[in-house]
Amino acid sequence: MTEGAYLDHAAASPLDPRVREAMLAWLGESFGSPSSLHEWGRAPSEALERARDQVAALAGAEPEWVIFTSGATEARNLAVRGLLGANRALGRHVVATAVEHPATLAVCRSAEREGGGLDLVGVDEYGRVDPAALAAALLDDTALACVVHGQPDIGTLQDVPACVAALRAARPEVRVVVDAGETAGLAPVDAAAWDADAVVLGGGSIGGPRWTGALVVRPGARLHPLIAGGLEEGGKRAGAEDLPGIVALGVAADLARAGMPQRARRMRALARTLTEGLLAVPDVRLNGSAEERIPGHVQVSAGWVEGEALALHLAARGVAVSPGSACTVHGGKAAPALEAIGLEPPWTHSAVLFTLRATTSEAEVERAIAAFAESVAALRAMSPLTP
Amino acid sequence: MSAARVVDALGTWCPVPIHLIDRAARGAAPGDVIELLADDPLIEVDLPAWCHSSGNELIELRRDGEGYLGRVEVTRPAAGRGGRGSPRDPSPGRSAGG
Repeated sequence: MTEGAYLDHAAASPLDPRVREAMLAWLGESFGSPSSLHEWGRAPSEALERARDQVAALAGAEPEWVIFTSGATEARNLAVRGLLGANRALGRHVVATAVEHPATLAVCRSAEREGGGLDLVGVDEYGRVDPAALAAALLDDTALACVVHGQPDIGTLQDVPACVAALRAARPEVRVVVDAGETAGLAPVDAAAWDADAVVLGGGSIGGPRWTGALVVRPGARLHPLIAGGLEEGGKRAGAEDLPGIVALGVAADLARAGMPQRARRMRALARTLTEGLLAVPDVRLNGSAEERIPGHVQVSAGWVEGEALALHLAARGVAVSPGSACTVHGGKAAPALEAIGLEPPWTHSAVLFTLRATTSEAEVERAIAAFAESVAALRAMSPLTP
Repeated sequence: MSAARVVDALGTWCPVPIHLIDRAARGAAPGDVIELLADDPLIEVDLPAWCHSSGNELIELRRDGEGYLGRVEVTRPAAGRGGRGSPRDPSPGRSAGG
């Protein structure tokens, strides 16, 4: 689309041709089960382990820590349910930031409903959690603490090393899950240096297929599988491996690792231009931290404009974005992250999310800025709420 | 003797724990110690039996919280069939999900 702008890469992003080519080979002439004893199992087995090496290198982990999943959502579920299930000796209480991914919040609430405790720790107006507050929420029976690296709605990055250090100082045995499902591949992730027990990875941010992901688990963390019944992934994720997807994820991880600082600089520069253009429209605010945010991630709220209407209006002009509260907009509820940073209606319901990649052009950014100004003006002209 | 390596078989059932430690042992060197975490009660029977049949030495097997901790010293030469994902991969075996 020459006149449009695709700025919805967190939802879906085109695969690099090298990633697609690697994947397609395993949908064509290459086949076989990694578990087979015969010769047709050798190449799949080697491809699987090569991808494990590649993903581990991106995540700052050892290859044997990597468990491939069907995406970040499964990895989040596996982390919370698996670590709680295998560490009941520690207790059943969970501590999490109030701005976790909705999938993490959902599985934590399920654990609470099943008899465990749950405390959500609030954040400041930029979405940053105080590591001391996180540690202060730990109880004698806290088994698990969850910290999201990059918040998917507002984009704020947490100081993960400080959070993990505070949690370890207060309760060394607590299991710590860091959710890098929206950041790996875009920002540095280092499971070993972070001292996390588990790190969530998602294919989308890495540049792989969006139905791929992994959970990185340190040895001795103790984990129950969600899907049992086979030897695949060390018994922690039974069932046939998605070899095409896993191979693609591995190649994407290699590509993401190479030149990440340069790409991040470009994405930040593009995002800065976009943000300045959007904020030039009256009564528009940036949500989340201005500096400590996922590269290429911009979420704004436009007063007296409903977020979904704005996203649809922009789509009609060829500009692809997401409503800022896509997960909850149909129920008329605000995204928890927006409430957590203290926003109230109408700001909670007027958010739109732009996600850029290094492949985004300056022209796309300029077209998005122009379309945004026009769409906001058009919708405000129709709104009875506009002052 | 190198540092113990952990095979986490928690949440899996017979015969998976034995498959996992067998895979790890095949990728290990003589003198390596493998720690097996398991919560299938059959491990009380299966681990000693596997050590006996495979020629590896059972150092200890004890209750550990709601599960078991087994420690095995690999005493036989590596068979060149240890698996990180495939039982035919000669590289060192991967632990079970961390």
